[in-house]
Amino acid sequence: MHISDGVLPVAVTIGGYAVSAGLAAWSARRIHNRDLPKVAVVTSAFFVASLVHIPFGPTSAHLLLPGLAGALLGPAAFLAIGLALLLQSLLFQFGGLTALGANALMMGIPAMICGWFFQTFKGSTLKRQTIVGAVAGAMGTVMAAVGLALMLMTGGEDFFGVAKIALAAHVPVIVIEGVMSGFTIGFLARVQPALLEPLFHKTAASAHD
Amino acid sequence: MTDVAYISVPLWYLPLLVLIPAATAAGVLPWLKRRARTRTVPENDPDWSIPPVAEGFGQGISVIHRWDVRCKIVTLLAYSFAVASLRHLSAAAAALGLSLVVLLISKVWFRKVMLRVVALTGFLGMLLVVMPLTVPVHPGDTLVVFGSMDWLVVNLRGVVLAATIAAKAMAIALLMEPLLSTAPLPVTLYGLSRLGVPDMAGQMVLLSYRYLHVFTHEARRMTAGMQARGFAKKTDMDTLRALANFLGMLFVRSFERTERVFDAMQARGYNGRFPSPCDLRIQWQDILKTGIWVAAGAALVFFDYLKG
Repeated sequence: MHISDGVLPVAVTIGGYAVSAGLAAWSARRIHNRDLPKVAVVTSAFFVASLVHIPFGPTSAHLLLPGLAGALLGPAAFLAIGLALLLQSLLFQFGGLTALGANALMMGIPAMICGWFFQTFKGSTLKRQTIVGAVAGAMGTVMAAVGLALMLMTGGEDFFGVAKIALAAHVPVIVIEGVMSGFTIGFLARVQPALLEPLFHKTAASAHD
Repeated sequence: MTDVAYISVPLWYLPLLVLIPAATAAGVLPWLKRRARTRTVPENDPDWSIPPVAEGFGQGISVIHRWDVRCKIVTLLAYSFAVASLRHLSAAAAALGLSLVVLLISKVWFRKVMLRVVALTGFLGMLLVVMPLTVPVHPGDTLVVFGSMDWLVVNLRGVVLAATIAAKAMAIALLMEPLLSTAPLPVTLYGLSRLGVPDMAGQMVLLSYRYLHVFTHEARRMTAGMQARGFAKKTDMDTLRALANFLGMLFVRSFERTERVFDAMQARGYNGRFPSPCDLRIQWQDILKTGIWVAAGAALVFFDYLKG
């Protein structure tokens, strides 16, 4: 769920912009210039992936994928997610322009934490990678949902009810997201394990020479 | 300090109040969505991801098209924040009215505007349903009680609050089309980079935007393949596994594609920056438009402040 314009207090939206600009700059500095197209591709692939709807009883949920973004991109995940949100906001009005900074924090910080978690604990066996990937996926959504609730609560006690309901609405998504991330990471571990290496952890010197 | 006021209405109002908006939403929303999606872009609507030919730029069809892109971005961003800070329904409604006027002046494609409004309805709809029921009761509030069902209380303050947010969000959303589609995307991004946003960010947005269509196409092809093999979505583990493989494949293919695209870009001399799409010059008309707009934003904030 993206926060739209006019919900958050102005101080929070401006603060969100400031903090996420700093984080994006930090994230960008860990990327080599020649890897920019690669990050751009992942940005748009995530964009498309988040449009995939998973059936859930009579309704459906769309994926958020912060965990998977972190596992694939490492520190570059913040930049990729920030730009994906900018595109979503500019092109489709998912999330408001003024709330962009807050939305980027809500999704980008979980992605980086999940990326760190996955890289630290992934081990070397397929089974372990799948499980750690599932945990990272679920964890990413939990953190994003909590972030959303906290952001909404900065609006004052009038928003507590909305925050609670938004949090509850994420419970099924957390399960689906965990299972999906686990399976996807398992698939990638079998098919293209190189993708799960922290692409931008070290300098990308070896990638193209 | 006034006490809480109660308005008691007969119980049979409740189904009326719930059913009519629900039925309207269920009928109108899918219709709007279908209408907005099925219409393709008409021929005279330029693809704004393509950089302009140098001499064609700056001779747009409306006042907003001719506005220098840097002034336009700064003004609209500042104005959006001003609108987002409004606290009263009347001020928010005035902002919405102003946005509608701008929409008429800027002659943008109306169906794209509708798509944006449709995208907003999910979040705003949730607020409109949840807030009247969950907002804490303060002295001076007016509560609507249905018959003898005292557990279901609608707080009118919540209704007003949610409506104010909805009006503000719509007012800003309606300005996005005049901001973006009155200049090609590369020009808008070039304007941003001239305003101090790193070049790199603008280029990544541009590249991502380009790839978006490629991957949507790829995803559609893969979906067709899955359907041809008899795949139907259900709520079970197999569906999740199939969709996870689908996602994994999408990533693998997109990475492979990048390798080739990157090589091609390098072969054409890509060195980390694209050529500037146009020359930007600020003229006195640009400053004037910015002044008028900023004054409108300030007037809204002042009007809001006067209301207490």
